[in-house]
Amino acid sequence: MSRNAVQWKQKPNFPESHYVDTRIYTEEDIFLDEQRKIFNKCWIIACHESEIPTAYDYRTFSHPGGPPLIVIRGEDMKVRTFYNICPHRGNTLLYEPVGNAKRITCIFHAWSFNSTGDCVDISRGKEGYQDRFACKDAGLREVKAEVGFGGFVWVNVDDDAGTLADYIGDAMGLLGGHLDEPLEVFHYHKAIVDTNYKLWHDTNSEFYHDYMHYFNRITGMIQPGYFDRKYTGYPNGHASVGSMAIKYDAYEGSKARGVGWPGLAPGGWVLIDIFPGMTYNLRTSVLRMDTAIPLGPNKLLIEFRGLGLKSDTPEQRAERIRDHNQIWGPFGRNLHEDLLGVHGQGLAMRERTDSKWVIHGREENMTIHDEGGMRHFYAEWSRRMGRDAFNPYGEQTEAAK
Amino acid sequence: MDTRTAITELIHRSGLIMDDVNFKGYLDLCAPDYQYRISAYSPEIRKDMTWLEHDRAGMKSLFDNLHKHNSDKSPITRHISVCTVAIDEQAKTADVVSTLQVFRTTLDGGQTELFAVGRMLDTVALGDDGPLLKARNVRLDTRMLGFGYHIPF
Repeated sequence: MSRNAVQWKQKPNFPESHYVDTRIYTEEDIFLDEQRKIFNKCWIIACHESEIPTAYDYRTFSHPGGPPLIVIRGEDMKVRTFYNICPHRGNTLLYEPVGNAKRITCIFHAWSFNSTGDCVDISRGKEGYQDRFACKDAGLREVKAEVGFGGFVWVNVDDDAGTLADYIGDAMGLLGGHLDEPLEVFHYHKAIVDTNYKLWHDTNSEFYHDYMHYFNRITGMIQPGYFDRKYTGYPNGHASVGSMAIKYDAYEGSKARGVGWPGLAPGGWVLIDIFPGMTYNLRTSVLRMDTAIPLGPNKLLIEFRGLGLKSDTPEQRAERIRDHNQIWGPFGRNLHEDLLGVHGQGLAMRERTDSKWVIHGREENMTIHDEGGMRHFYAEWSRRMGRDAFNPYGEQTEAAK
Repeated sequence: MDTRTAITELIHRSGLIMDDVNFKGYLDLCAPDYQYRISAYSPEIRKDMTWLEHDRAGMKSLFDNLHKHNSDKSPITRHISVCTVAIDEQAKTADVVSTLQVFRTTLDGGQTELFAVGRMLDTVALGDDGPLLKARNVRLDTRMLGFGYHIPF
């Protein structure tokens, strides 16, 4: 039966943990709050160590909390991160996404910095500042950086943040032993979609949407073991999904994967979601990493990386690339469908469309079509935000009073 | 029709026929050993990337499976300008370099936007029955494709 305006807005008949108010996806003030309380507090993946292999290699990164960053490998091979902002007149220091810079010199007034963030030269400094200001006062703003969990470079702009290991906790357990060998990025692309970052992470946190993917229905959903895959939630909002054996040759034109992955059973598939917007997706022969970088409440930039083993032979690498592209490349069967899905959500949920609720109500003993992965995410989101996802402006509490 | 004109017409026809979503017609323009590839260079990771790679049978499978997938239905048009044609009479092949612009037009309202730019690097087989596509590398400059597309350029 269809519903009228009042019925449309009525609270879903589920526990409050099982639905969210769609204003958490659309409101500018909530997005700004998320930047402060979530993205500027959590560990975020900036790049992979293989992107900066030699001393003085750098990579720039637009942090989802706002600051533009430089990730640079020092002479001592340690990776450090700084604001990509000149402390003099606020200019961008490094313009290219990647490069090698023994000295970072601002093009504006030629102030120079080394790879440990020290200011090493202020042009005509003595003449202009006399003894009032010198290099020692002009270092770059350093940001916490750690390399780990598959060689990714993680950053945290909160000086008081705990360690990366504490943040991740036990969440990476299912990938234990699978990420010990050095990895290498072979694929990188970005996509900008008019949607909210949480909707993308939701897509990576539930498999009920396999109905959208013909490839996954044929190779997974109708195969033995699919409904045995289970979600596990971990502290800090992380979650994992257990493995199964994907039958790749069930899709016409596809074939069983020839190369595997260390420690992973043939056809295996493990997925780990890291709060607030990163996903390890190890699917038989390829590791995919998604990094969600919100640009606004309804605008999202996603970085997609595909990784193989650094020790790959050219033949193995070519096979991993083919496996990756079939489903996850920009012309792959699944990625377009996933992006189309969240694009549609963004269309339907943008401001003033009168969308009201999103339901996360499926309970199937935390198996593959249970929506517990999303519920786990929003419990953490609510905790960090000091707002209930089902009631972000406290109206229901006020009404109850 | 001289060889150069026939080659140029083949390249242009391959774009028009794909714009018309005539996949059988496209495959008819391809030699049995046809190889298709979409590639791009990533300055971010300083690596050459292959984004799609199929032989003729692989292209046919891709086309045959399309209707089973959820895809953006906005039509795209491929604007190809053939720039150079280098004919090797002995090998009975020609190497062709073209520039490519792809536009996408929305179904609702018909707004057109530039979707991608790049080059087409083609090898053409010169047989007695006329030229056929032997290999195509769609070399993209554009690397941000929004929510993407299922049909190759």
